[in-house]
Amino acid sequence: MNDERDRDRDRGDRDRGDRDRDRGDRGDRGDRGARGEGRRKRFGVGDKELVIDYKNPQLLKNFLTDRGKIVPARISGLTARQQRQLTQAIKRARMLALLPFTST
Amino acid sequence: MATELSAGRIESVSSTIGTQREYESVIILRPDTGKVEISALVQRMQGVFEERSGRLIRIDSWGMRILAFPVERCRKGIYLYWRFLGGSDMVAEFERHMRLSDRVIRFYTVRIDDDVDPNARPSEITEELLETVAEPGPDPDELARQAAEDAARRAAESKDNGDDDDDDDYRRRDDEDDEEEGDE
Repeated sequence: MNDERDRDRDRGDRDRGDRDRDRGDRGDRGDRGARGEGRRKRFGVGDKELVIDYKNPQLLKNFLTDRGKIVPARISGLTARQQRQLTQAIKRARMLALLPFTST
Repeated sequence: MATELSAGRIESVSSTIGTQREYESVIILRPDTGKVEISALVQRMQGVFEERSGRLIRIDSWGMRILAFPVERCRKGIYLYWRFLGGSDMVAEFERHMRLSDRVIRFYTVRIDDDVDPNARPSEITEELLETVAEPGPDPDELARQAAEDAARRAAESKDNGDDDDDDDYRRRDDEDDEEEGDE
């Protein structure tokens, strides 16, 4: 139940920020460093027990940009382990045409 | 069981110590595949599993879905989820059959567990399950159209209600019948 609410919130965040993320945000990162304090966390924060499964494309969609790219951990806020599971799961889901390799 | 499996050649180390691996496999069938063809495929594969002393543990139908991109010119596909025990030879054989079948447009197998005791994993397959699995499921386009129609109808209805609500409530309560007639 809790998960679901978080997911909804996450999606909302993503919709707002997606466009400038796709353009690449290296420009404004400069002084903060990639992994420092200013590291932007948008979703996934706190769900240490998030179960990442390639058979759940609805969940994985939250971690794709609107162009179908995988969102970096720096932005997704996932732990390194979760991010590894995520990329694996997204790549599997793509093989099964559950998620796009690219869109538009 | 181990000896049966390695008849002639040793398939894997695990097969010699009496354990098997658990795999799950998702296959995509062409959207025009009928119920008969699906159950024929499932039956044939069950034969293959038994023959190689693997075991089909579970099979699920995810129904017809719209693919994220066209696969072999199909925009939609029927998803079937299989879970089975066996060695790597079982996977090879399974995938060989998938490749041979002209109904299957995509398949993907993942190993989910090692060293499974085959006796501890009973098959969940029942006649009933096989029956439901063979059902191709409703067409997502059809469903979407229906949902859109429903939504449109509901929107139209709620709009009417909204109009009614905008009117003064006391009047509406008093001459509701008149109002209905007036609307029509």
